[in-house]
Amino acid sequence: MVQEQAAAAGANDAAPSAKDAEQQQPKPFSVKEGMQGIITLLEKAVKTKETRLLMGRLMRQTAMVRKHMTASDLVAFINTYLPMDSKSAGFLKGYVMQDGDTAPMEDDATAAGDAGDGADAGSAPGPSQLPEVELYMYLLLLVNLLDRKQFAQAREVADTAVGLLQQHNRRTLDAIGARIYFYYSWAYECTGALADVRSTLMAAHCTAGLRHDAVGQETLLNLLLRNYLAYNLYDQAEKFRSKAQKADTWRVPGQYCRYLYYLGTIRAIQLEYTEAKEVLQQASRKAPTCAHGFRVACNKWLILVRLLLGEVPERVEFSAPGMRTPLAPYFELTCAVRSGDLAQFRVVSEKFAAAFRADRTTNLITRLQYNVIRTGLRRINLAYSRISLKDVAEKLALPSAVDAEYICAKAIRDGGIDAVLDHAGGFLATRELTDLYSTNEPQAAFHERIAFCLNLHNEAVKAMRFEPDAHKRALAAANGGKEQMSVEEIARAIEEEEEDDM
Amino acid sequence: MSLLKEAQQLLDKLKTAHKKNDWPAGKAVLGQLRIKLIQLPAVPPNTGFSSPTAQQELLLARDVYEHAVLLALKSQDEAALESSFTQLKTFYADTRSLLPAAPQEWMFAGLDLLRLLVANRIAEFHTELELLPAEGMAAPHVVSAVQLEQWLMEGAYNKVLAAGKSLPPECSFAVEQLSATVREEIASCAEASYSSLKLADAQVLMMMTSKMELEQFAEQHGWAIEGDLVHFYRAAAADANAEQHLRLINQSLLYAKELERIV
Repeated sequence: MVQEQAAAAGANDAAPSAKDAEQQQPKPFSVKEGMQGIITLLEKAVKTKETRLLMGRLMRQTAMVRKHMTASDLVAFINTYLPMDSKSAGFLKGYVMQDGDTAPMEDDATAAGDAGDGADAGSAPGPSQLPEVELYMYLLLLVNLLDRKQFAQAREVADTAVGLLQQHNRRTLDAIGARIYFYYSWAYECTGALADVRSTLMAAHCTAGLRHDAVGQETLLNLLLRNYLAYNLYDQAEKFRSKAQKADTWRVPGQYCRYLYYLGTIRAIQLEYTEAKEVLQQASRKAPTCAHGFRVACNKWLILVRLLLGEVPERVEFSAPGMRTPLAPYFELTCAVRSGDLAQFRVVSEKFAAAFRADRTTNLITRLQYNVIRTGLRRINLAYSRISLKDVAEKLALPSAVDAEYICAKAIRDGGIDAVLDHAGGFLATRELTDLYSTNEPQAAFHERIAFCLNLHNEAVKAMRFEPDAHKRALAAANGGKEQMSVEEIARAIEEEEEDDM
Repeated sequence: MSLLKEAQQLLDKLKTAHKKNDWPAGKAVLGQLRIKLIQLPAVPPNTGFSSPTAQQELLLARDVYEHAVLLALKSQDEAALESSFTQLKTFYADTRSLLPAAPQEWMFAGLDLLRLLVANRIAEFHTELELLPAEGMAAPHVVSAVQLEQWLMEGAYNKVLAAGKSLPPECSFAVEQLSATVREEIASCAEASYSSLKLADAQVLMMMTSKMELEQFAEQHGWAIEGDLVHFYRAAAADANAEQHLRLINQSLLYAKELERIV
């Protein structure tokens, strides 16, 4: 029976849409088996009330199934795992049928065969009454519709799913529920109606807080932040974020990364660059290697924040694999800022204005103008021990020497350059260079690194979990040790006796 | 609805008072209007925007708040200004799809930005700025507010003061405060960058009109005037040292504590 299904699935994969890589694998991935595995997993998890198992394995297996799923597969699964008379089955099938025409021809025959086989397969579970399974079907359909870019339909399915979700209060539903909310928000975002969703998400967030649904809380917090930031409502986003309940440790690392990113953008807009840099760096480091787009977005903001802080990012960061093209405008911007050339800076910012507007970093870039001037001043200060203010004005393309005087004075006060102005003579003179090692600079740099390492250690300790069988092993080891000890003790006792006798 | 008509009449009264620059009368009328507004069904904080005359009511309410803002501007009442602006902003933001765009929306946005700038609330200035779409950014009031902020950040204070004199009449509240802020900034910059200045130069630098002003200012900041020169003293060095010591101590304690935790 299982081989038949595998063969049928194999025929599926051999269809024109199959990729070569699959045929090279020792066993072609069978969607059906994947689904069976998932449903078994779900039922086991619900029975043992184990919620953590769900999260990791379920999502990973869903990801694998998602790539290979087709409309007919979905119909087969709905028929197999949902009771025939349930409302959801009819509803879901209706949506799948609409897109059934796009499925390749060979699948229809195999689908009929599979549907018949699946119902009486020995090892596969049959129709299930669990709401988890039902909502999981919704999730699958949502994911499928979104993958095929049918956003309007996805929206309707999502609405029903959310309505259904709110009727239940089961902790085992948390992980699936969080994913459903995520795709619900995504469907609305793709159809451009994100504002409508805000009140639903807010209500769901409050409920999740009351029920101690940690995963749901995290996901909804991030979704709401994303919602506010999409409309540039930084003020409201910050107010919400500061008042919202957050757990001490984050259950899902992906959600933590997203949260850090949103926090970083809010801080950057609010002019708190140091905090923004720290947070964005953390987000970038914690992100998984496959989260490419996220890394790129993080890096864009990180570069801007570092420029605004006055430090110049390394060239290496721009030429990391896959980053070169998206970061190209930012690279040119960094060059302009580094050279302190205001005219060049304006040219670059106009050239890439569209790209910056798409990234929503236009306002941050306008703020960079001051940095350009400051870098220019710093270069002049380093190069000349004394220079007249008129020359400064010329070099920095400032309108007059008076302006230059004011700007230099401000830069000196802010600690940008180390110099003294002489009004009577009308020049800028550099102060004597002090030995850097005799100041506190090295200590500050060390402290940053030490603090980071200590923080890392603490977080690693917090993230440790006990293995469930560890105590049994420890007990066995202790017993074995005692036995050994007793043998050794006896041996030694005999030896000592012999010595004494001697 | 008669309620609407009454409110409309009161609004007309308010407008005439505003034109005549009659502030006490304007304030009284405004008080009455606020009560009327609460009674209107379509205006928040009532339950949302559904009622047959909703559009007129909302337009009316928006007009009222715009005039409230102008009134507060003229009477230089900070608290009233802030609350009026907040109320007005909700009207612009939430009813954008329901009402036709007001022509003075951008003017009010610019005024709001200016108010935040002058009060040195730069973080809020920037968050407000983010909310403006492209056409808002091109409006004259907004442009001048943004330009001012840039100049303030760069340190081109002479430009700031020059621009301050040429602001439109609605922004008169800002000019005084702006010059005061700017003068303080120039003073602190001068302290850091010059060791001493001739009196005449100092006067020009800080844009003061008379020697008396300069002497008063110098007294306030603890500068010594000897003959023709003003000496700036830097008394902040000692404090910085103490701060550094404290920081070092804190850091060392932190290391000790953390290392102790590592088993």
